[in-house]
Amino acid sequence: MSTRNTISRLVTLGGVCTAVALAATGCGAGGPAPTSGSAAGTVNVLVEAGGHAELTGVAEQCKKDTGIDVNFVELPYDGMFNRLSSEFSSGNVSFDVAALDSVWLPSFKDAVQPIDEIFTDEAKKDIFPALVKEANVDGHFIGLPAWTNAEIILYRQDLFEDAKNKADFQSKYGYELAAPTTWKQYQDISEFFTKDGMYGTDVKGAVETEWLAHVLQAGSPMVLDGDNVVIDNAAHKEALDFYVSLTKSAPPGAAQVDWAAAQNLFNQGKTAMTRFWAHAYRQIPKDSPVAGKVGAAAMIGGSAGVAGVPGPWYLSVPKATKNADSAKKFIKCAYDHNGLGIESSLGLASRISAFEKYQDQPGYESFKPLIETLNGKATATRPATAKWQQIVDTVLVPLLQKAVAGGDSATLLADAKKQIQDLLK
Amino acid sequence: MSSRTAISRNRAATEGDVTSQTVQPTSKVTASQGPRKRRGVNREGLEAGRRSTRTILWILLAVAMVLYGFPFLYLLFTSFKTPIDTIAVPPTILPTEWTLENYANALGRSGVLASFINSVQTAIISTLLSLVLAIPAAYGITRYKTPSGRVFIMAALVTRMVPPVAIGIPLASMMSSVGLADTPIALSIAHTTISLPLSIWLMSSFFEAVPRDLEEAATVDGCSRLGALWRVVIPVVSGGIAVTAIFAFLASWNEFLFALLMTAIRSQTTPVVIANFQTQFGLDWGSMTALAAVYSIPVILLTLLLQRKIVAGMTLGAVKG
Repeated sequence: MSTRNTISRLVTLGGVCTAVALAATGCGAGGPAPTSGSAAGTVNVLVEAGGHAELTGVAEQCKKDTGIDVNFVELPYDGMFNRLSSEFSSGNVSFDVAALDSVWLPSFKDAVQPIDEIFTDEAKKDIFPALVKEANVDGHFIGLPAWTNAEIILYRQDLFEDAKNKADFQSKYGYELAAPTTWKQYQDISEFFTKDGMYGTDVKGAVETEWLAHVLQAGSPMVLDGDNVVIDNAAHKEALDFYVSLTKSAPPGAAQVDWAAAQNLFNQGKTAMTRFWAHAYRQIPKDSPVAGKVGAAAMIGGSAGVAGVPGPWYLSVPKATKNADSAKKFIKCAYDHNGLGIESSLGLASRISAFEKYQDQPGYESFKPLIETLNGKATATRPATAKWQQIVDTVLVPLLQKAVAGGDSATLLADAKKQIQDLLK
Repeated sequence: MSSRTAISRNRAATEGDVTSQTVQPTSKVTASQGPRKRRGVNREGLEAGRRSTRTILWILLAVAMVLYGFPFLYLLFTSFKTPIDTIAVPPTILPTEWTLENYANALGRSGVLASFINSVQTAIISTLLSLVLAIPAAYGITRYKTPSGRVFIMAALVTRMVPPVAIGIPLASMMSSVGLADTPIALSIAHTTISLPLSIWLMSSFFEAVPRDLEEAATVDGCSRLGALWRVVIPVVSGGIAVTAIFAFLASWNEFLFALLMTAIRSQTTPVVIANFQTQFGLDWGSMTALAAVYSIPVILLTLLLQRKIVAGMTLGAVKG
């Protein structure tokens, strides 16, 4: 008992002494203070945790080229919007550069400064057209795409090349089994592989991007055409009906399937195909049963051809930073050495030339389909409205969840139109 | 020793009372059965009742243990799984192949050690701040029993009902304005806003349980009121202080939102680093669970170390009245 008391006292005393000592120093263990503009040669970059690796190589190269030191402030995706809102609204920012998800650009357009000088004619030619368009808000470029992504088709190459499968498919559907390029082919192949405990594809009811890609493939702008809400037009209905038709070839519980669930299902060998972000091709675990057996193809096309919804991240400079010159130098470095991101764990870039440099190398088979999808005529970015995230969370995702659960598509789309109109008022 | 003897005597007397109740004759007992036999039958019945009650309690305890313990055990097992095992469909509880790779990845990540130090630093400062403010506040409220005191303690409770995000953003701006941006002190102050109301309520209940006679005796012996508080009351409620300290420490240790809004490079705490394993491009379950398991160790040790104090503190007010 006395030993315990002695230990308790020692712990208490130690704690008090530590606290007093640390409090007296008044600083944390992570490094220097991140106050914006604290040193002309230092740039603080706010980045989502997953994108950090993308910029590490750029930061090292930038140090060599310009002498600028880069500190990364890494945050989880779910909290980053709150943090950005908080700092932008206070006018006191702790970072000089922010990596912004494309859907946030319209929300923060007034808090970041133009970087038109980086968008030279040469640069505009080397960046995918949809991204150049999205970066331009109210006549000024406010963000440089640091890396981009899009959904492509990942499929089980071993199953597709299996002689018996090929023969069976040919006799059942009357054409050769190959990576799908159209909605009809995707439906047929999904149906064909739904057997023996395996499913042809997944249907993601908890995320909206995939359905929106199908809307573009059907030939309509997604949700908004300018200020008009067009979610109830024929293309949206056609895309929704196609999306829902795949549920019979997908694992049950589609309403709750999100990106992580779909990726797990594919990596576990439970689905023969998935429409997924291109980065996933290089992230298949080595001990996965499908490792080394996966092929990649461009996103399928509808009546308007191949289309995808790009998922770029933009580097922007806050108006409130006192270190704008160094921040812009860093962004220039990120453009000049954009290809370094491809060698990171995420393996993405934003310049066409960077993707093209790697597209024929082993391990980068997903790049050609990605380039094709991003260059698709119908490929378009999300509508530039500050309410977009709200529309997604409160209208689009619930709409999809009801649709995959058996709801009437025309009624659901009509209801969604009213809700979006109310949100935009 | 004398008090223990007295307790034993009381216990014996209580048991005697119970026994005496069991010898009451019942109409079902025949005359041929002597008092001893009837007493034995009733005692067996009582014992059987106690056994069944004990069994039910054990079952309930086991259910509660499983409900509370299983998520942590699952986290622990996941931290030893290979990457493909962590995302198995359907999920498995035990790893098919045990590996320490996740721990190496998690602990090898830059900033993890610094975040641990920041978490310890922030939690200790926040706990001390909470105790330093809560003890006098609770003492004043319970001893003086003024209307303003009652309003104050209710107001403290109301602050617990405000969503943290509502005060997080203004707090972050305020700390930035006074030059405390991204410091453990700023985060500790923010965490104190969470733990202080709870600490005041807890300490108030512990002070209520301390008889006023003790303080009066100390005063008669020459203590001032503060002297009586320091020398007599606080030692009596030390178990309660330990409980309050644990709650305050845990509130800070596990807090996420304020840490997310108020820290950047030098004071980022481990909960934010753990959350960083979930990115827009994937979720590294293995490393996330490994770091979460390591992060749990200090609080588990602290709880075990102060277990007796906590139990004593929990029961401090139980015999009141």
